[in-house]
Amino acid sequence: MSDLSLATAQTRYALRGFMRDASALGFTAFFPVFLLLLFNAIFRGDTRFAGLHVPAASYYTASIVSYEIMLVSFSSLLIRVTTNRERGLLKRFRGTPMPSWVYLISEIGRTIVVVATTVTVLVAVGAVFYHVRISGHLLAGLVTYVVVGVTCFCAIALALSAVSPTADSASAFGPLAATILAFLSGVFIPVDIMPTWMLDLGKVFPLEHLARGLQTAFLIPGSTGITATNLAVMIAWGAAALLVAIRTFRWEPLASGGG
Amino acid sequence: MTAVVEVQELRKSYGKVERLHGITFEVQAGEILGFLGTNGAGKTTTIEILEGYRSRDGGRVSVLGIDPAHATRAWRNQIGLVLQECELDPVYSVRETVSMFARYFKRPTDIVATIEAVGLADKTDERVGHLSGGQKRRLDVALGLIGDPEVLFLDEPTTGLDPVARREMWVMIDGLRQAGKTIFLTTHYMDEAQHLADRIIILREGEIAAQGTPDELSRSLGYRTEVTFTPFEGMALDTLIASIGAPVTREDSLVRFATDSVQTDLELLLAWAKDQRAQLANLQVIRPSLDDIFVQLAGSPVGMRQSTHE
Repeated sequence: MSDLSLATAQTRYALRGFMRDASALGFTAFFPVFLLLLFNAIFRGDTRFAGLHVPAASYYTASIVSYEIMLVSFSSLLIRVTTNRERGLLKRFRGTPMPSWVYLISEIGRTIVVVATTVTVLVAVGAVFYHVRISGHLLAGLVTYVVVGVTCFCAIALALSAVSPTADSASAFGPLAATILAFLSGVFIPVDIMPTWMLDLGKVFPLEHLARGLQTAFLIPGSTGITATNLAVMIAWGAAALLVAIRTFRWEPLASGGG
Repeated sequence: MTAVVEVQELRKSYGKVERLHGITFEVQAGEILGFLGTNGAGKTTTIEILEGYRSRDGGRVSVLGIDPAHATRAWRNQIGLVLQECELDPVYSVRETVSMFARYFKRPTDIVATIEAVGLADKTDERVGHLSGGQKRRLDVALGLIGDPEVLFLDEPTTGLDPVARREMWVMIDGLRQAGKTIFLTTHYMDEAQHLADRIIILREGEIAAQGTPDELSRSLGYRTEVTFTPFEGMALDTLIASIGAPVTREDSLVRFATDSVQTDLELLLAWAKDQRAQLANLQVIRPSLDDIFVQLAGSPVGMRQSTHE
């Protein structure tokens, strides 16, 4: 069996496991759809974005898409990798002839499939109920931001897994970090009514750029939302995280001692 | 016989503390070696160096002719592992788990036959999360065997199992002996090593305290045979001590001494008793079990007992 087909088989295996893990499935697949419905039940009417009056419903569709990308690529991957490491599974895999990269690629492959599926559902809900108009510009922006966003947040998850001591702490930290970033980045609250200092703080982190880019693609007709700044910030975070991950990634449980 | 594992003067330190003080041993092809020690003796450190997980600070190590510090993929294809702690993903079935691991190896053995060999045939489609502790441990062994390895490392395969599950595991490992596998087994149960191993190495505080077949160990360590009897009135112990030339202790209702030449000392004891005009009550000669030997060896501070390692 070639390494590529092994990677494909391992990805399918990871996906099957994910589908059977009720809490992971609920948290990353159903929760965002629920959030989208919830926000649109609370905030009705229009909001202002880039000087235009736009439907809040479309604004939230774009926002929740960006949130979902982060949730699956960052929180969910961090929890999975930390859990498998604490179980001794990563160590066990490392003791087989399977190359290490095959395991990591399979987890990232699983992430890509889950993001692609859930984002498609969110956009479809947005198109049917929330005034989202599917256009070539929107799709170009969406695909670009999904690819760059997934890469960036996967790298950050792998980098942070080295300092995430247990599966429990990862399960607490991952979603908490995601929630705080979502508030700072104008995902849960329209940018129009957010204080400037908070938005400025949010600009340091990649989610702000992912959210703003996607909101532009969803809300401004004829725009892909792609800007050099947005891409540069996300790529810089991703590259830095990748370097950290390569140097610090751990395969053995943290408490592993000699006997 | 050819050596599958060769270890010479193996040293390992954690920080400033040296954990392995230069140990030397071999494992022959087709042999089950029992590597016995208390917690902290250095068993897991040793097995993890052999498995390629840990670096070493000195000495030479070769497993199937390869230094595990430079493990290659071809080498990993010939090595089977059962780690001390590995919690498999509970959402997959036994068959799914074994099938996935089979894909990692170049020449995996038959999946159904392997599941049968570890006694999980009736649990093939059960989720890992629903297995008992003993069944999970046997699944670990199946994953160690699925690559059809030349050598299998079993790190404390029965720790934490109930007595029935332990026995089942023993029967299974006995089956592997029939199949001619070379097995490196760590354990802290002497009865387990005695039952399963062709040869036993007792490790104590990072040094080999004793090694040999179970019979050799009993024989070479027979000097701890104990003789006891009930004290009698007017007993003159000092003459007995002078006669046998070894310390004799008296407790409340027991006189005892240890000997390495049972027959001679018994003759001296009986002669002394006759001299004392006494009938010895409850005379007993107690040959230590291997368990006692292990407790003596593994529990005593370094330097207190002579090493029988030649």
